[in-house]
Amino acid sequence: MSWCWLALVDERPEDCLAASAVHEHGKAAGVLAAWARGRKPVRHALRADARIIDRSGAPAWVSLVVTPPGVRLRFDDLAVQQARRALLADWWPRAASALLRDASHFEGSILAAADSVRLRADPFARIFPARILAVAGGLLGSVPPPTGPAIERYGSSNPWPAADYEA
Amino acid sequence: MADLRPGERFPDVELTDHGGNARRLSELVGGDPALVHFYRGWWCPKEQAFMRSLVELQAEAEVAYTRFVSVTVDPPPVAAAFRAGLGARWTFCSDPEREAQSMLGLRERTDTVHHPYAPAAFTLHPDLTIQAAYDGYWFWGRPTLEELRRDFREISRRVRPDWRAPRA
Repeated sequence: MSWCWLALVDERPEDCLAASAVHEHGKAAGVLAAWARGRKPVRHALRADARIIDRSGAPAWVSLVVTPPGVRLRFDDLAVQQARRALLADWWPRAASALLRDASHFEGSILAAADSVRLRADPFARIFPARILAVAGGLLGSVPPPTGPAIERYGSSNPWPAADYEA
Repeated sequence: MADLRPGERFPDVELTDHGGNARRLSELVGGDPALVHFYRGWWCPKEQAFMRSLVELQAEAEVAYTRFVSVTVDPPPVAAAFRAGLGARWTFCSDPEREAQSMLGLRERTDTVHHPYAPAAFTLHPDLTIQAAYDGYWFWGRPTLEELRRDFREISRRVRPDWRAPRA
């Protein structure tokens, strides 16, 4: 199973793939950075489905949901299940991944799309607030939706929807 | 023409999903038991009734590592609209050029207006081996939800190495 570390940081790290991020109103938001699976690069880095990372990816609008400090929600919480269902049912963005810190908690999500309009309906933003960011090219690719209707993961440490069974 | 009998390997056709992405059947099935279902079109009341029954089953399938794929000759935006109207959360695929339909031998000859797929359903193993085949030209030829549950149980029993729960 393939996952990577993802974090929004202030300055561009050297050991990663990164792209600058800007808030909707134009204020700089920092740098969205992705590191290969391995030692955690920065304290607030979260696991994401590695398939969303593509060094040739076009610029993207992103809906980034991160749980507020001190808040923990189980990945199997009904709210998280329903957000997964809603994303499968309604509209699949250019790329999407849940964000994880450990095997049992939901720590956020990232949705990438060509425009910001439909990101306002991000189902994960019903759980925690989302930041809408414009992310430069060279970081986020395109991943088609999972087949459905299954919304479960193989191995709880894997970010949804990276989910193929490995016997 | 493909041999679509139980025990045979279902052809790994390439189709376009409801979002316009090119997909191979093997990729859509992944490592899970799957239902691959061919339907005439959104306009057929038999298809609407059958699809509504599948929508009932998706609440179980979503936690049972089981996948559905529905295939039509309708173009992707039409398939996407039908999917949205049903509340379906599985992948709908389109074959507007009828290439897979021709290769599979699944064109319904009696409808000379739409040239649709003949209604058919197949339960598949992860390697695309056909567990069961259902001819849905007459509605009662289609699988009931109980038959689908039975097929998925049998496929899962065969492909899951830990089908019997590991116990201390």
